[in-house]
Amino acid sequence: MFIEIIDIIISGLLNGSVYALMAIGLALVYGVTKAFNFAYGSFYTMGGYFAWTLLVSVGIKGGYYTVFLTAIPFLFVVGFFLEKILISPLRKRSDWQMKAMMLTLGLSLFLDIGYIAIFGPRLKSLPDIVEGTIDIGPFAFMNQDIVIFILSITGLLCFAWVLNNTRIGMAVQAVAQNPMGAQIVGIPKDRVFAATFAISTIMVGIGGILLSQKNFVNPQASTGIMIKAWVITAFGGMGSIKGSLYAALIIGMLEAFVGYYLGMIHIEVAVLTLLLITLAFRPQGLMGKE
Amino acid sequence: MLSIENLNAYYGQAHVLKDVSMTVNKGEVVVMLGPNGHGKSTLLKSICGMVDSKRGKIAYKDQDIIKFPSDKIVNLGITYIAENRELFPYMSTLENLKLGAYSKNARKHEKENLEKVFSLFPRLAERRKQYASTMSGGEAKMLAIARGLMSNADFLAIDEPALGLQPNLRTEVARIINEINKQGKTILVVEQNIPQITDLADKLYVLEEGHITFEGSKDDALSNDNLKEIFLGM
Repeated sequence: MFIEIIDIIISGLLNGSVYALMAIGLALVYGVTKAFNFAYGSFYTMGGYFAWTLLVSVGIKGGYYTVFLTAIPFLFVVGFFLEKILISPLRKRSDWQMKAMMLTLGLSLFLDIGYIAIFGPRLKSLPDIVEGTIDIGPFAFMNQDIVIFILSITGLLCFAWVLNNTRIGMAVQAVAQNPMGAQIVGIPKDRVFAATFAISTIMVGIGGILLSQKNFVNPQASTGIMIKAWVITAFGGMGSIKGSLYAALIIGMLEAFVGYYLGMIHIEVAVLTLLLITLAFRPQGLMGKE
Repeated sequence: MLSIENLNAYYGQAHVLKDVSMTVNKGEVVVMLGPNGHGKSTLLKSICGMVDSKRGKIAYKDQDIIKFPSDKIVNLGITYIAENRELFPYMSTLENLKLGAYSKNARKHEKENLEKVFSLFPRLAERRKQYASTMSGGEAKMLAIARGLMSNADFLAIDEPALGLQPNLRTEVARIINEINKQGKTILVVEQNIPQITDLADKLYVLEEGHITFEGSKDDALSNDNLKEIFLGM
């Protein structure tokens, strides 16, 4: 019984940490631009296919090291230019947030169908980042799980560091807190918007590389991930980064417990019930400001 | 230093500024008076690149800046100090000030400007760790002015600095504007009818319904009965 619970908690922490990485990226974009990015899940899948292409199709040297070293600049460039080319022109129009929502919805359909056209409809499997297990007392951990956990926590810490210690990070916070104030002090809003979009693309893409090892690369995974990221962000409080962190860990735990005791089928129901109850009593989410 | 010719500006369908022309010389304090909603803020925002839809000519140091984006204008040395302050609420005084020095031109002078600002506003030095959202109205106003000074600007466009302040704070704001001017900054300030601020003016303008309806010195304004009554409260 006790060992069971510890196992469940560890699996919850593992999922929660990757969810946190992905949901915080989404919270960041929403916090800065106040626009919904509905293509978010498709970048998760993109991360998975990027890793599969390098590792399985090309068989690149250096394995996952090379994958991460190339994925970060690749995802940054994809995110940055998609924002510059597709979303940025919309911002000159009134009600651009609504138009951006429609555009990203279309973009996600385009990308998901593109994946099927290029890679076919079948699931692809990624090799494990490390093999084997390690025993600590009565518990057996998969090395892969430990590495995934460490990498996603490292990702979160890097993100926090960039946000609080670099000029671009302070500029991002300034735009999120007061866009007008940011313009007054001479922060180039367009560049901050594009950089934010790019950073969030990296975060969800890395999440895709990490989790696709356990769940396969699936051209239809995008919607599920997008919904999950949105549920976590809404639960934590729209645009609140701390809120998303706690929400991701809580939802990771809830999924692990419900999946174990009631069965995988009930996970979605449990998560959405938690969201509905929370929003009924706290419409702004756990740590939302309004 | 700044000369505007036939500036027209629009908010959506509304034609807010109509053929506005004015000049501000180096070292002057120019006060723009006018009723609420007649385009004073739009004028300042147009100068600072924060109004998209406009035409005419805005020359700053012999350069036409009408098409420049706001970040480029800040870097040229023009800063806007907003009437409703527009601070970063969940950042400390110090972080707000440091962001004030965001532009390339300001970064080099961040340290010396921070010292200057703290000697001008000792209150802010005491509260350097306090969140902007927890400050009183007067302190927030001071912080907004201080943040503007951090940009190392030569030209300050100040929007209703005394609005909503109690009389002794109005005098304080006027004193500070005078002080900043003496340190060499050129100032364009828009106001409704605050005598302490109008007193500082080297030149007065009146903006009504998007038109400049008066231009001249304080003495000219005093001899104009209409103006005396409406704007100077005498």
